[in-house]
Amino acid sequence: MVEAVNRTLCRLALLLALLVFPSAVFAHRDDQYLQASLVAIEPNAVRLQLNLTPGIAVAERVIAEIDHDRDGAISENEAAAYADSLQRDLTLRMDGRNLQLKLTASELVPPEELRTGAGIIQMEFSAIFGPLAAGPHSLTLENRHLTTMSVYLINAAQPRFATVQITRQKRNQNQSAGEIEFSFQPVRRGIAVSAGPT
Amino acid sequence: MEKKIALVLILVFGAGSNSFAQTISAPGAPTAGIVAAAKKFLATLDDTQRGKAVFDFKDEAQRKRWSNLPTTIFKRQGLRIGDLAKPQREAVMAVLAAALSPQGYEKIVQIVEADDVLRKSTGQSIFGRDEYYVSFLGQPSATEPWMIQFGGHHLGLNITLAGEQRTLAPSHTGAQPAIYELEGKTVRPLGRETDKAFALLSSLNEAQRKQAILDFQMRDLVLGPGRDGQTIQPEGIKGSALTEKQRQMLLDLGGEWTGILHETVAKAKMEEMRNSIAETWFAWSGPTEKGSAAYFRIQGPTVIIEYAPQRLGGDATKHIHTIYRDPTNDYGAKWWKR
Repeated sequence: MVEAVNRTLCRLALLLALLVFPSAVFAHRDDQYLQASLVAIEPNAVRLQLNLTPGIAVAERVIAEIDHDRDGAISENEAAAYADSLQRDLTLRMDGRNLQLKLTASELVPPEELRTGAGIIQMEFSAIFGPLAAGPHSLTLENRHLTTMSVYLINAAQPRFATVQITRQKRNQNQSAGEIEFSFQPVRRGIAVSAGPT
Repeated sequence: MEKKIALVLILVFGAGSNSFAQTISAPGAPTAGIVAAAKKFLATLDDTQRGKAVFDFKDEAQRKRWSNLPTTIFKRQGLRIGDLAKPQREAVMAVLAAALSPQGYEKIVQIVEADDVLRKSTGQSIFGRDEYYVSFLGQPSATEPWMIQFGGHHLGLNITLAGEQRTLAPSHTGAQPAIYELEGKTVRPLGRETDKAFALLSSLNEAQRKQAILDFQMRDLVLGPGRDGQTIQPEGIKGSALTEKQRQMLLDLGGEWTGILHETVAKAKMEEMRNSIAETWFAWSGPTEKGSAAYFRIQGPTVIIEYAPQRLGGDATKHIHTIYRDPTNDYGAKWWKR
């Protein structure tokens, strides 16, 4: 009962904030869920880093997707369930073959932070694959997560390994899907590691 | 050789008044001058204020506590400008004047002024010149690393100093409105960036444009606030595919960000960019008509710059976010991190 009251108060506070500070909405992304994906290709794995930022006007809808019991807090089970749901909405393919994603890290900020429009949900997935043949390859990513409210960014990370060279990136118009063409040239003695970013 | 620069600048941080002109001296433009200005500012503070203004240089949370968002949404720490007395505010601005070039200082002042225009036009006190914060990481020093942070809505200046070396990376500039009238003059805080980008684009021939223009929407910055440590694969047209004149235009465009810092370090950064111009990329997304809302990116071995109009607030040309990074040296890490 107390939690329900708190929840209602939270929503009223948000509504009040929107009424009192409409320009806070005016001044930054409000009605969109920004989903930015960074795709790191390594010699035997792909690492996918997602930064998910719900705008203030869609935060409640995103919170509802996560906080299933509506208790105003995100439990471990709810965080895991949301990661599963996100994972189901992602399709990663290497040379036309589906890759199995595995959650490797996640950080969900509390609902009250998401309601500000500044909270960022971070998820990292990886997909391990067998030895790549030398030569050109194609990696595709499709993101179908909460499409009606989302805007997307998909980018290849600059490879940390000199054996991997990105040759081309293609996206659809709204960047919900992208293709990264790359070449893999194995070296005989160990793996050459290029100078990465600090 | 010590150089004295007298700058007649418009200060926007007047005590409850509109803008007023003030002469700011930046003695000894190198680090010693900035240190002197910073110490002078600290001397105006009481112990409580000083405790709020100065963080440990190793405070990673504070180092990364910057954003494009208004302060009511993204909480800053440090000293709020609106809580300072007039001499203290002037001392803050003197620190910035010492650290920045005249045009860089003017840009920062105009960005803050834009937010004040937003405050007046919306009637909302969450915007405006009072809602900016200043802080230092470490003590001002001519030899030891330290950092100046100054920011609020649409501004996140992060200046790391290590001896005579200084970097602005990473820093965010933006503006809403990106064009406004003040005292009978039209002000465009990011106008030169916009104009130079369109000039460069219009200089490209058809084949070059095919390389430079991305055929998808860019709805935001890729490497904006909160994206420390990420480096993306460059796209667009490579500097090696540009003519000498176009390369100069690209450098000149990048100089709108690298030139925010004082010329003593901006020149060195520009030389570094010039040396790697063949490996520097220029990408464009969106309409190509002059003055329209389009995204662009400059990416080289030691620089990443993004410019992203925001569709929120109506006309996207009037709401702009930009980011400046150095993938090899954000926060000057290569000078002090082990």
